[in-house]
Amino acid sequence: MLEARGGEARIIAGGTDLVLQSQRGQCLAKAMVDITRIPGLDHIEERDGLIYIGAQVTHGQVAASPLIRSRAGVLAEACGSVGGPQIRNVGTLVGNVVNALPAADGAIALFALDAEAEVAERAGRRWTPIATLYAGVGLCTVDPCTAMITQLRFRALGKGEVGAFERLAKRRALVLPILNTAAIVGLDGDKVEKARIAIGPVAATPFVATEAAEVLVGRTPDEASVTEAAELAAQAAQPRDSLLRGSAEYRKAMVEVLVRRALWRAVEGASLQEGEDANS
Amino acid sequence: MSSKVVGQSVPKIDAATKVRGQRKFPQDFNMEGQLYAKVVWSEYPHARVSKIDLSQAEALPGVVAILTSKDVPVNEYGINIMDQPVLVGEGEKVRWLGDRIAIVIAESEKIAQEARQLVRVEYEPLPVVTDPREAMKPDAPLIHEERGDSNILKHIKIRKGDIEKGFAEADVIIESYYLTPHVEHAYMQPEAGVGYIDEQGRVTVIAAAQWSHDDLHQISHMLDLPLDQVREIVPAIGGAFGGREDMYIQHLLALCAYCVRRPVKMVFDREESVMRTGKRHPYYMKYKWGATRAGKLTAMEMEIISDAGAYASTSVPVLSNSASFAAGPYVVPNAKVDAYTVYTNNAVTMAMRGFGSTQPPVAYESQMNKLAEALGMDPVELRMKNLLEDGSIALTGNPMPPGVGVKETLRQTALAAGWKEEDGVWIKPGPGLPSAPYKRRGIGVACGYKNVGYSFGFDDKTRAIVELALDESGEIARALVKLGASDQGMGAHTALAQIAAEALGIDYEKVRVALVDTSVVPDAGSCSASRHVYMSGNAVIRACQEAARKREEAIQRGERRVSAEYEYHGRSVRPTTPYDDENGMCDPHIGYGYASQIALVEVDVGTGQTEVLKVWAAQDVGKAINPEMVKGQAGGGVHMGLGYALTEEFIQKEGLIKTRRFSEYHIPTVADMPREFIPLIVEVPDPTGPYGAKGVGEMTTLPTAPAIISAIHDAVGVWIDNLPATAEKVWRAMQVRS
Repeated sequence: MLEARGGEARIIAGGTDLVLQSQRGQCLAKAMVDITRIPGLDHIEERDGLIYIGAQVTHGQVAASPLIRSRAGVLAEACGSVGGPQIRNVGTLVGNVVNALPAADGAIALFALDAEAEVAERAGRRWTPIATLYAGVGLCTVDPCTAMITQLRFRALGKGEVGAFERLAKRRALVLPILNTAAIVGLDGDKVEKARIAIGPVAATPFVATEAAEVLVGRTPDEASVTEAAELAAQAAQPRDSLLRGSAEYRKAMVEVLVRRALWRAVEGASLQEGEDANS
Repeated sequence: MSSKVVGQSVPKIDAATKVRGQRKFPQDFNMEGQLYAKVVWSEYPHARVSKIDLSQAEALPGVVAILTSKDVPVNEYGINIMDQPVLVGEGEKVRWLGDRIAIVIAESEKIAQEARQLVRVEYEPLPVVTDPREAMKPDAPLIHEERGDSNILKHIKIRKGDIEKGFAEADVIIESYYLTPHVEHAYMQPEAGVGYIDEQGRVTVIAAAQWSHDDLHQISHMLDLPLDQVREIVPAIGGAFGGREDMYIQHLLALCAYCVRRPVKMVFDREESVMRTGKRHPYYMKYKWGATRAGKLTAMEMEIISDAGAYASTSVPVLSNSASFAAGPYVVPNAKVDAYTVYTNNAVTMAMRGFGSTQPPVAYESQMNKLAEALGMDPVELRMKNLLEDGSIALTGNPMPPGVGVKETLRQTALAAGWKEEDGVWIKPGPGLPSAPYKRRGIGVACGYKNVGYSFGFDDKTRAIVELALDESGEIARALVKLGASDQGMGAHTALAQIAAEALGIDYEKVRVALVDTSVVPDAGSCSASRHVYMSGNAVIRACQEAARKREEAIQRGERRVSAEYEYHGRSVRPTTPYDDENGMCDPHIGYGYASQIALVEVDVGTGQTEVLKVWAAQDVGKAINPEMVKGQAGGGVHMGLGYALTEEFIQKEGLIKTRRFSEYHIPTVADMPREFIPLIVEVPDPTGPYGAKGVGEMTTLPTAPAIISAIHDAVGVWIDNLPATAEKVWRAMQVRS
């Protein structure tokens, strides 16, 4: 259908962003192709240690999914904090990625999970890391007039591996974040085996604080190491002065606060799992 | 007299039709053959219009007319001072973004929208003045050259006692500088309506309005038509909060109908409503207060500067209110107030819930809380030593009329929140344990009071007609109350129907309140100043009494219809007087309402973010005509106060508006409201009120912000004197402190 329209038709799923853009004259497409009734795009499932989420799946469904809650809780937390209930029940997680905003809660968690997206285009289907989809603020490399993201996948979190999502905003619902962060910590015994931290909006695309995460690896997650990681994350993050979100100085300081909180919650969760493991 | 209807929480008179979607709001009206209008707005906060080119827009098929200043018979309006042009023409100035250049009228809304973008306007930008303190300076660029050589619209002075002596007697002096921001009314329904020529040839407007009869005066002036040639109909209103006391769409609809002689519909979208209509005044308040060690206030010195924005609107009466309430509900022997309102190129500022009584509590209650801390005295106890009572001499030298219930509101709120009292010594409860190790809890208290009815010598009056239909036995089958009192959604008509039922001794269900249509109902004054229950209630009671008398005669004559009319004047019970030019002494207000609130908050020490956990809110309403509606007003007042305190930031830069929609201007959501809300109704009767009633609409929002600010201080030790207390501001204050 997209091809028949020669680039003038565009995919629509939940439409929570697109309809507004259209009303403001920011969407130039002449037709919308609704994908919400195409079979086979509504799945949340695990296969071979990977979790797959279809293009029709809403934030509300992700937040409520027992699979996501147990094997990628950080994504459930993130999706549960998007907008308000009405938006979560309509807006899709894939749409959150296509919209390519650096503040998108769901996307921040997906970056921490190192997710991949399946892109269906004329040449066929391909899997690509979601980071490759982001070309700038609101710019997705997948053109929704010629292609679509059919599903997302990421490795389910294993034993001793837990994530946490933190968000700071001007009010408690229906508001874009001043800052948000998702952190995942994997423990091996009492040492950090792996860690990954994503932060938004501190750059044109969701930001992965690689250095901050790496400083934890191989160390005991204590006050010193977590503080060091949080400080590194704050140093690496480049939030801008924003009339609506707050000063760069404040937001940089908040990166440290939020990353520290997310890491601690992740570490506590992971330690608990490791502890259970040791006791069993 | 035992009341049967008054004091009962009967269902709101319009609830069923609203729930069923049957009740029409202005946007729901459509007329045969109607056209659609869109406004061409100013693009600059201060500029001279050098050229208006309509040629492209006029050429668009479907465009019926484009109105400019040349089409306005008398191109001026304004509720208080006629300093606003209806449309700004070539060679004239725009003074803010809400000024209008033209109105495009077309066969469809889409064409009107397209055509307005084709109107080319050239401007010569002028220097923009956005800080009233700068605008006051002698060399500041003038916003209104035609109104003299200063941007200062009004200066009010109050001189009471001897402040030097008062400060000399003080053991503690607190000085602070407080800032309150613009606030958007954010009523649910943006401006909308239809203008048309009625069957009698009258220029008629259907729109939401707070004072339709005053709109008529302004519209008849603008169109140079006699009053009986204009008409306004007010259907259901989707909220107002003061924002519909001025005209933002009424006169434009009237002008369209007058010019094209066809029905014309106009609807503002939310961005227009936010960017192009008035706001609450920002205030800059310099306060210096002294008290003795025993906790008695000795002296106060206050400078208040209000940002009037580009046009006067009601800035002068708003300022007058503020000056009279500058001391808060406290007795002070020595005081000096200098209050100014000043033109700038910011958004026009106007009435908004409190009408000048909302900003001062942010200063005066923080002063009290700071004094309490400095004196090591409980904040409730300090207040109890200074609060007004019946007969107390107020700031303006007048004795307070009977029914001063502020102490009772404070006593009840404090006891409900866990304070203990023994022999005048009050002990604050602990705030409880925080929900996380990085959070701190705090509890804060504040009071407030406000006038009911129009003040300073204004002849506040309300006229009501009561019509009775009698059955065969002469019993009242139906009563119809006719008066021009708008119900903004809060229940004025319900309360007036209850008062009528009570006065007539009939069931509430038998009373109807007529739709506000100026061709049918008499002037009842505006829906503002928390006045309809008090003023219109008094008129309705007297009209009902008259109708009851006439009923006896009608029965004897075998007639089945009775009509009675009464005009109630506030001055008949309490004459008010204007400020004395030199010392400000006066008897400012007809009546008052009082409120006290306590807030329990939790502050995140890492981020500075505040969560309000619980609010206790007591309002002295004299008599609750409808207790559930009073509680509703309390909830709404606290909601607005919470936004004022924490989240609502109206951002302007160089006169340009940066918060244009609700994703940018953050009204608290239900998730931001306190998890527990405890409204308390206090009834200290006003002997002149209907069944003892005062007003309630505005008082409920006064104490919320200062109570929250005080609770934040209790939690983390910082004072936020510049609203709103955003997370970043609280965090910065904590950084400075540590």
